[in-house]
This record gives sequence, structure tokens and C-alpha cells, in this order.
Amino acid sequence: MVQEVLRLQNLQKSFGSVRALKSASFTLNEGEVVALLGDNGAGKSTLIKAISGVFPIDRGDIYVRGQKVSIRSTRDAMDLGIETIHQDTSLAPDLSIARNLFLGREPVNLKWLGVFAPLDLAKLRDAASALLKRVGISKKLDADALVSTLSGGERQSIAISRAMQFAAKVIILDEPTNNLGVEETHGVLRFVKEVRDAGHSVLLITHNIHHVFQVADRIIVMRRGEIVAEQTVADTDLLTVESIITGADMSALLKEARAK
Amino acid sequence: MPVGKRRSSLIRSPQFSSLVILIVLLAVFAIADANFLSPLNISNMMAFLPELGIIALGMTLLLTAGEFDLSVGAVFGLAPVVVMLLVQNGGVDIGVALLAGLLLCIAIGAINGLIVTKIGISSFLVTLSMLLVVRGAALYITQGFPLKSWDQPGFFVTLLAGSFNIGSFRFYTSLWWFVGLSLLAVYVLRYAKLGNWISAIGSNRNAAVARGVPADAVKIWLFILTSVLAGLAGMISAFRISAASPVAGTGYELEVIAMVVVGGTALTGGRGTILGTIVGALMLRAIRNGIVLIGVPGLAYNIFVGVIILAMLILHALLQKNAARS
Repeated sequence: MVQEVLRLQNLQKSFGSVRALKSASFTLNEGEVVALLGDNGAGKSTLIKAISGVFPIDRGDIYVRGQKVSIRSTRDAMDLGIETIHQDTSLAPDLSIARNLFLGREPVNLKWLGVFAPLDLAKLRDAASALLKRVGISKKLDADALVSTLSGGERQSIAISRAMQFAAKVIILDEPTNNLGVEETHGVLRFVKEVRDAGHSVLLITHNIHHVFQVADRIIVMRRGEIVAEQTVADTDLLTVESIITGADMSALLKEARAK
Repeated sequence: MPVGKRRSSLIRSPQFSSLVILIVLLAVFAIADANFLSPLNISNMMAFLPELGIIALGMTLLLTAGEFDLSVGAVFGLAPVVVMLLVQNGGVDIGVALLAGLLLCIAIGAINGLIVTKIGISSFLVTLSMLLVVRGAALYITQGFPLKSWDQPGFFVTLLAGSFNIGSFRFYTSLWWFVGLSLLAVYVLRYAKLGNWISAIGSNRNAAVARGVPADAVKIWLFILTSVLAGLAGMISAFRISAASPVAGTGYELEVIAMVVVGGTALTGGRGTILGTIVGALMLRAIRNGIVLIGVPGLAYNIFVGVIILAMLILHALLQKNAARS
């Protein structure tokens, strides 16, 4: 039986008079990669920011594993097992890989010292090395290396591994392949599949439809703040999806798509 | 990390190159003038060192978090002026007056921090305005005159500016303050959870916030810390020379920032080194002292200070480029 992980019901968000998100409802299941597609301004980033707690929603409900939740901060989202990885904004380049992996959740000794508690450096390094090994990038990477010395693909992989590390139920990837070379893009996409196979659910936001067809199970298309199409990858093709995104003769296409 | 690799990264680190240059500078001054290393001169340098050095510690943490504070020199001037006015004209107990000074510094830092983080104005502009407000306040409440000398010894004077002799060296208790605060700052930045947050905020604020790090709160507390340290340094200085002047600390903000960046802390945030700052503080102190001793004309000596700082920064930039290439 398919296990529902995240369900959004009629999410709405306005900024002043701009209705960035008119109404969005969809369900994300366990071990599934869902691609969220749409042109610039379609409301994709508003939607994922709402889920990841960057700002509160105006109306609508969010359910995690069937439980209604309220997400008011990024911390709330993380505590619920929702990890968001933004292009370029996920890692601090001047910190080591190990320190980045545990940023905000540092293992410490003498916990009662609060923010002044000393980092458990040995545990930090060991856990980071174990993690790097598990995700298969240990040969090249040293847990003490600064993130600024890594390539874009390596950084994405580190950010995704970090989300996996904290047993995230839902991993949101915001444009994970932007600015990456061909080889690195394939590495990241392969990694996305591994993440899914490990039982995590992935919400993939991207402009690149080709990537979607390589890794996604389902596709959700947004236009002008609304979800206009939802299809399994097997039931559709690249051209159909492309025309839905751009909105060229939508009604006919949707009918056709549903008829299939 | 293998030992060899660790050693080479230490040698390439900015604080190490600063240390080498400091040693070279000290050697040059010592050879040029034998008095440079005399107990009297070393005692002199050590008397001045903590006053700017203490502020530099706060500034290092603040710069690492990606912000800076131009109002420290003015706070350095205002805090003792307020304390001494309260004592001399208001008849307030010195302990109470010091507490009032502390609260004033906390307020100044909090205002800086709140405006920078909550309204989103660059710290350059906010603290530049604060510099004018604070310096203006110091001038206004004193009508521009230095306050009568303060020569009543007591617990607080001894605590902040007492002195003791080791052999023929004369040291002030302020040196202990500097040493203690330095150790604390090294601990916080390198080994504490907070230090990880500070570096992450300066390196990539969005990443830190996305991980649940309370970036704004951390920055506000660092502004408060920097302001309080500037006030503490001002008190130490005022007690040491037994006077409070409304223009004390003029230009200190730039000298402190110079100490910090010469030590290898990045002006753009993310990379901070307390050890480097200590080296930087020693270096600027030694330069100011040394070039006077070797007979550079007083009016020309800022030229030398500027040139040496520039040379240091160029060296750091070249080392950085080299490291990036390898």
C-alpha cells in the first residue's frame, strides 16, 4: 500500500495584492520523486517556501503522515522531517564539510552550556566520514576539507546527504542541477534515485524537463499560482508536459492527456 | 588529516604569515633601536595593547559574522565620560555608575544590531551614524572639555587598571583582561557551537538560517558584545590615565578593523581568526611604537602605518590566490 507522507490542501498565499499561490493541493507518497514544473512566476518557489517554513501560508492545510501540522519556521519544517536544499544557499563555503553537515545540529559535550557548549569534534568528524562513505563520495572527500574547495556537484551531493542524514521524510530539491556540468548533473540525478530507493520522498523543482523524465515518478505542473496538471511520468511525454507549462492550448492537451 | 598536510595548511594560513611578519618587524625595530626591547618600552607597549586589543576581539567575531562596527571608538570615549560625570557631578557610587555605563554600551550595541538585522540597513551606514551620535553625545554632555582627573584608587580602578611589576617590567591588569578575553574568544570561535554559527552566518547567511541558526539574534548579541568591549576598553584607558576625554578613541574604529584584517580575518565574513587578531594588535602596536623610536617624524608616521597595513593585505590576498590555485 502506498504510504502518504505529505499532503497539501488548498494552500494559498498572497503578497499584497499579488496572489502568488491561488490554490495548491497535492500529495507526496513515500519513496516517490515528484517533479514540480512551471515557468518563472508560476508559484513554484512560493509553494516550496511555504512548505519549508520560510513564510507562513494564508490559508490551507498541511498534513505530514496524515497529521495536520503548522509550519511557522524553517526549524518547524526540519523538525517535521522536511529538508529543503536550495541551489547555492545550502552550504557555508568557509566551513568544513563536517561542520556543514551538522550545522544547526552540532553534536556537543556539556550540553548545559547552551550555545557556548564545546563541539564534539571527534564525533563530528567520525559521523561526517561515515556519512561520506555511505553516500559513496568518501574516496575523494575529506571531512575536514572546506566546502569552498568542492565542485558544484559535490556540494549538491553533500547537501542532499545532509538531508538524508537527518532522516528527512521529505527532501525538497530546488533547482539541484543548475550551473552543473553534464557529468555532475548525472551524478546528482543518480543520487536522487538513491535517495528515493532509501525510502525518502523527493520534491524536485527544476526548469529542465529532460531531467524530470530521468528521475521523477510523477509530474506536477504549476501556472499562475495554480496546479494545472498532475500526471505520472509513464502516462505522459515531454512534448505534452512542455505545452502544459507554456499553456499553449491547455484544455485540449489536458483532455488528451486524461484520455490517455 | 595527515600531519604533513595539517602543517602545510598551518603555514599557508593567514595568521601564520602575519606572525612571521610580526617577528620580522620586531627584529627590524630591535636592530634599529636597542631601546625597542627595553623593559620600559615593552611595558609601555603592553599598557596600550589591551585597550585596542580588547575591542579587536569583539570586532573579529562581528566581522566573522559578516558585519562591522564603526562606533567603537566613540563608545570608547562616551562610556568613561558618562561614568565619571555620574560620579563627579551626580554623586553616584562608582559601582552604580559603572553599571550605568555598561547598560549604555549594551543599549548602543542593541540599537546597532536591531537596525542592521531587523530593518536591513548595512552595518557600515548604521554604525557610521551611531559613531556621530555617540561622539556628539560625549562632546555635548561634557561641553567639549575633558573631565577633572580621577585619582581615587579603589576596587574597580585596581580591577581594570591596577599595575604590577615582574622584574623590571611593569604590567597593567588590563593585560590579564586581554589574555582572558582572548582565550575566551578563541574558545568560542573555534570550539563552541556558537563559533560554528558565527562563521556560518558570515559565510552564507541563508544557509545558516535554513539550518535553523538564529542569525539575527547572534548578530545582535555580537554588536552588543563589541560595544561592551569598547566601553570596557574606554574605562580601562580612562582609569589608567586618570582622566576621561570626550574625544578619546577618535579613529580607533579604523585602527581596530586594521588589526583584525591584518591578522587574516576576512572583511567579507566567514573566515575569522582570534590568534591572527592578537598578532595584528601586537603588530600595529609595535609599528606605532617602533617607527617613533627609530626616528620617523611624527607627522609622517601614518604614512608608514598605512603602507605596512597595505603590504600585509596584499600579502594575504596573494597567499589566498596561491592556495586557491593549488
